[in-house]
Amino acid sequence: MTIAEAAVSDARLEPPGPGLSRYTDLLIIPMFLAAAAGGVAVWANGYWIVTLTSATAIALAASGTALLYGQLGLVSLCQYSLLGIGGWVALRLSFAFALPFEINLLAAGVASSVIGMLCGVPALRLRGLYLALVTLMLAGGFQVVIGAWGFPDGGAGFFGRADASQRLLMARPAIAVSNGAYFLYSTAVLAFGLLVSEFHRRTKPGRAWALIRAGETTALSAGVNVLFYKAWAFALAGFFAGVAGALLAGGVGQLDGRAFPASESLNLFALTVVGGAGHWLGPVITGLLLRAVASLFTDYGIDGNIAIACFGLALLHSLVVAPSGLAGQVISLLERFGRRGKGGA
Amino acid sequence: MLLSFVISGLGVGAVYALSGVGLVILYRTTGVLNFAFGAIGALGAFFANEVLNAGYPAVLGWLCSIGAGAAVSCLYGRLVAPLLAPRDPVVRAVGTLGFALILLGTMGWYWGDVPRRLALPSDAIFFEISGTRLTLTRIVALGFLLSVIASVTLTLMYTRLGLAMRALADDRRLSSILGVRVISVELTGWLISGVSAGICGVLLANLVRLQALHLTFLVIPAIAAAIMADLSSLAITAVAGIAIGVIEACLTLWPLLAPYRTAAPFFVSLLSVFFLAFRAHQSGRPR
Repeated sequence: MTIAEAAVSDARLEPPGPGLSRYTDLLIIPMFLAAAAGGVAVWANGYWIVTLTSATAIALAASGTALLYGQLGLVSLCQYSLLGIGGWVALRLSFAFALPFEINLLAAGVASSVIGMLCGVPALRLRGLYLALVTLMLAGGFQVVIGAWGFPDGGAGFFGRADASQRLLMARPAIAVSNGAYFLYSTAVLAFGLLVSEFHRRTKPGRAWALIRAGETTALSAGVNVLFYKAWAFALAGFFAGVAGALLAGGVGQLDGRAFPASESLNLFALTVVGGAGHWLGPVITGLLLRAVASLFTDYGIDGNIAIACFGLALLHSLVVAPSGLAGQVISLLERFGRRGKGGA
Repeated sequence: MLLSFVISGLGVGAVYALSGVGLVILYRTTGVLNFAFGAIGALGAFFANEVLNAGYPAVLGWLCSIGAGAAVSCLYGRLVAPLLAPRDPVVRAVGTLGFALILLGTMGWYWGDVPRRLALPSDAIFFEISGTRLTLTRIVALGFLLSVIASVTLTLMYTRLGLAMRALADDRRLSSILGVRVISVELTGWLISGVSAGICGVLLANLVRLQALHLTFLVIPAIAAAIMADLSSLAITAVAGIAIGVIEACLTLWPLLAPYRTAAPFFVSLLSVFFLAFRAHQSGRPR
């Protein structure tokens, strides 16, 4: 079975219904995230709010990976590095020009998108495996470069590095200065990102991606510009990663160059598959797996390495028996309960 | 001055080359790009370290590493790889990433994350070339590289097994129809890859450091070497691997470039992929 066949076999990827109905069910995304965020804001302590804020940023980056893999079968192994690039740009602009947070957010997204495209687009002409490898090389290169540069922390010059005593924190948006408010802000940005992604799936780009997924020859004969729509997906994924990087930088105030090894991009991709790449809930689960589960293990005194091994097992399980990931399984379960409820009534 | 860096880079380069060759052999036989190669090598190195720490001879350590590498590689190749065999090459590669994470987590849990060094008796034996020491370990690395390339090339060219491997690389389904015993031939590919991983694990644990995370992801420069050879030529992979090691070492001489020296394989492999893409575009044939 090819990726395309696996993706088509996933019920979550069936084309949305006709007319306005294809958009109305998008409302579930902000409603679900608003309910979840409200619950967290009320019940979670400070530690968990910070943890879940970074989970929302990771979820946004994962939504880009999911878009590429779920819609086109493209494997991008540099998404965490693009997140780092976004974080770097946001920090640099914030310290240099004191721009509004939202401008930094957009600039970070555009920068990651452009850099990702510069490296990724030439590989789109090659077999799928080559895109995976090119993006992995980009992640490896970024690991070295960011290790040498570090992230800006309020100093002068291009690198913006300051002495330890003069290090600054990135300013948060004026409406979300506290941790709780910033968590809600990040959740809103995540909801917006997921909506954009789903909107694409339900409009012309989504139809073009579906044709490409069915076969490039089919897409070409239907008049689809294959390279353009693949590049578009890649640009969108890069943009999400860049925005996620800016969100992460705003949440912590500073970023550490050692926290962006190539292995993190591999983990992010692995957990995107585990979370489920064909449904908007998948990236949300991915963010929770990468950040919240690790924190939960720490809370219970369980070695974090056990979590890594479990993620590996879950990845193999997803690839072999559950291509729609945890999200697909959750949705199937809910649908089964729904049908049973209707049958009972 | 430069010679000492070249010699220093030769050892690590030989191991990158050997890793790259191990990756290409498996890819050519099974169509699987093995992201778990580094983790398998790390597991072997930890076994070797246990044996050496217990006071047993180094040869036993080597054998344990090779045995452990071959065993886990064949285990994956027999139990999991066939389940993903009909899938796209990129999905098969992602499957090995899952296996790498399982091994990485298990090693981190059992042996911890503290870096250490695997000392070999061959470190104490060295030759001097223009005042630069060339340890026996580095010579062993080059020796392993040459012998693996020679034996695999001869096997591929002149034996029935090699013929079956080449047939599988061309078309798995047709080979099966023609009577090639797909599972056992693929298993041989996994065995050779596991043996290479076991050897590389010990060498890298000695030349770089013994740490599960680090060794697992040292597979990335090896992949860079394999990319430069378009995942097909063993000889070019070997040359590219050695070149990566030597360039990395030599860049230490230039203070401006020294902090970025380990990025060299990634940028060179990116350039080679762009070249492949350009060639594909010119010829009008997708690769």
